[in-house]
Amino acid sequence: MEAKASTSPASFVDKIVVPGDVVLDLSSFTNQTIKLGGGLRQDCDAISVMKAGKLQFSKPNKYWVESSQKRYVPCTEDTVLGIVVDCKADNFIVDIKGPATAFLPVLAFEGGTRRNIPKFEVGALIYVRVVKANPGMNPELSCTDASGKAVEFGLLKDGFMFETSTGLSRMLRSSPTCPVLEELGKQLSFEIAVGLNGRVWLNADSPSTVVVVSNAIMNSESLSEVQQKIMVEKLLQRIK
Amino acid sequence: MDSRLANTWRLTVNERKFIETALLSGIRIDGRNPYEYRKLSIKFGRQVLAHSHTCIEDGSSEVQLGQTHVMGFVTCQLLQPYRDRPNEGTLSIFTEFSPMADPSFEPGRPGESAVELGRIIDRGLRNLVDAANIAALAALLTFRRPECSLGGEDGQEVILHPPEEREPLPLIVHHIPIAVTFGFFSSESIMVIDPTHHEEAVMAGRMTATLNANGDVCAIQKPGGEGVLQSVIMQCLRLASRTAGDITKKINDAVEAYKTEQAVSKIKRHPASITLEGIGSGGNVKGKQNLSFEHKGVSELSRNLMERSKLASEGSCASQNDGEGETKLSELSGNKRDGGSTNLVGGPTSWDPYSKGVDSDFLKASLASRVKVAPEKKPDSVGERKPTELKPEEPPEDNKSASMKIEASEAGLRKDGPKTLKDAVKPKHKRKKKASAVANKS
Repeated sequence: MEAKASTSPASFVDKIVVPGDVVLDLSSFTNQTIKLGGGLRQDCDAISVMKAGKLQFSKPNKYWVESSQKRYVPCTEDTVLGIVVDCKADNFIVDIKGPATAFLPVLAFEGGTRRNIPKFEVGALIYVRVVKANPGMNPELSCTDASGKAVEFGLLKDGFMFETSTGLSRMLRSSPTCPVLEELGKQLSFEIAVGLNGRVWLNADSPSTVVVVSNAIMNSESLSEVQQKIMVEKLLQRIK
Repeated sequence: MDSRLANTWRLTVNERKFIETALLSGIRIDGRNPYEYRKLSIKFGRQVLAHSHTCIEDGSSEVQLGQTHVMGFVTCQLLQPYRDRPNEGTLSIFTEFSPMADPSFEPGRPGESAVELGRIIDRGLRNLVDAANIAALAALLTFRRPECSLGGEDGQEVILHPPEEREPLPLIVHHIPIAVTFGFFSSESIMVIDPTHHEEAVMAGRMTATLNANGDVCAIQKPGGEGVLQSVIMQCLRLASRTAGDITKKINDAVEAYKTEQAVSKIKRHPASITLEGIGSGGNVKGKQNLSFEHKGVSELSRNLMERSKLASEGSCASQNDGEGETKLSELSGNKRDGGSTNLVGGPTSWDPYSKGVDSDFLKASLASRVKVAPEKKPDSVGERKPTELKPEEPPEDNKSASMKIEASEAGLRKDGPKTLKDAVKPKHKRKKKASAVANKS
């Protein structure tokens, strides 16, 4: 048991892993279930890594690899921003920046029936949740949360959408609000929706606010927290 | 089909609306003014491929215009010229969109936009136009082709001189045409310079004007889209000529900086070139001849440089080389196939654009440092080594003196000689300049 300490999960969690690394050995887990997220795969008893990034572990039993990239790999329970590409009889076809377009069933809305199918024009921007993401299948989306409520899912009107990396979008959603948004929010009022697929939607009263906020966010990608604060302060001074 | 659908970039209704409304109040999504150009940075050879020591040094450039990156790379090839144009080469442009850059770029055959961009470097997509144009120019400006001459028993063999033996020659670039793209939006009054990817997706019409720093319009491309008023076009051209001036200055500054850097780094490269030359000239009689001839030129030159009078040095250099210079000149002019234009026609203008500025400090720096370096390294064979070591520096000066000679002799010939297309293209003031240069010299 002690000899396997090097391959125990604790040694890899929060570390950088590369494709081919075996991070878990299932033979040491007897009656325990674990859940694998993106970037991990099971070969018999070995759990190996499929993409470079940081191995993350969430308390009971979830493991996944986190990295920042410009392409999105769909994963269940992710909330993403999609663009409606086509409207079919049973599904809306939605682009979520993944390797394949996703399907949004016309009935996957709160209280959705055949009678009240919403009308989305091609190019509409919607905030959706990924329900199924199986390899070899188009991902399936839903405009409700797990309990069937609409909450904030659905069509986003007006505003401006821009694309960033998945890492930046995850930073924008981090739970103590990230410094850029914190600082910007003190002086400007704007509305923001961040999808895990790297799309960010912004709305504000004046277009200039939207331009300032969007550029500040895009510039903050490679900056540390302190640098982000300084950058935003400078920016706000300049536009006054 | 499905994956192709997923890879295409889409514009949402929201973005389209926002870009248009923001533009109505003069705001662009990247925070620029409607008439503001993106930030331009140019890198060359070594800076592009930091560890490469070989032939990739010259004639490559990396241009970054905002977030658009373009790499330019110039190569040359010795070919038989077309029968109807025996003294001209050809220039072809190839473009490639790397699939690494954007998911909408597919590998394989060049797409429609790649072909359009490549045909003339002032048409394309996503405002690659402007960046690609700058990259191509910057690469061409720093490219130097290896020198070639006729030799062999019957004087019909073409000898390509490796860069160690004779300094490669720069290309003759008459002027620098800069492409500036404008985007027009449905409400006629809105016009932006250098549109971004998003703006290109929204705009109703596009126009690319290619101008040089003198304000001469070289080309205009208006691929479909909305009609534009004549007054708007004139306004565009005014804006474009201003922008072209700025960009030309930036390109020239970058080229100058690169050349001085290269001249400095040349000193370090020396030991390698000595050994190579030793092998090369051992078996080659012609090489030896050149060596002695060039040695003479150098000693003369360095003496003259001490006097600090450039004009005088060139004059005496030309006269000193009289005998050999003459034969060499004929060799040169007979043989330039690859340079686009020949010595006979383009020779004098090779002077004009920038070569003049470079080599004075280039030579001074290299000569000064040479004197310092050489004795330290080989204290016992200074006398022998010096000529060979100086040699790589010599050819450009030598060639220049030759071209000066052509200039002098051509000045008379040109008046009644048959005119070529090149003559028609040349701007007037250049000729004046040349005439005055000749006058100064005599």
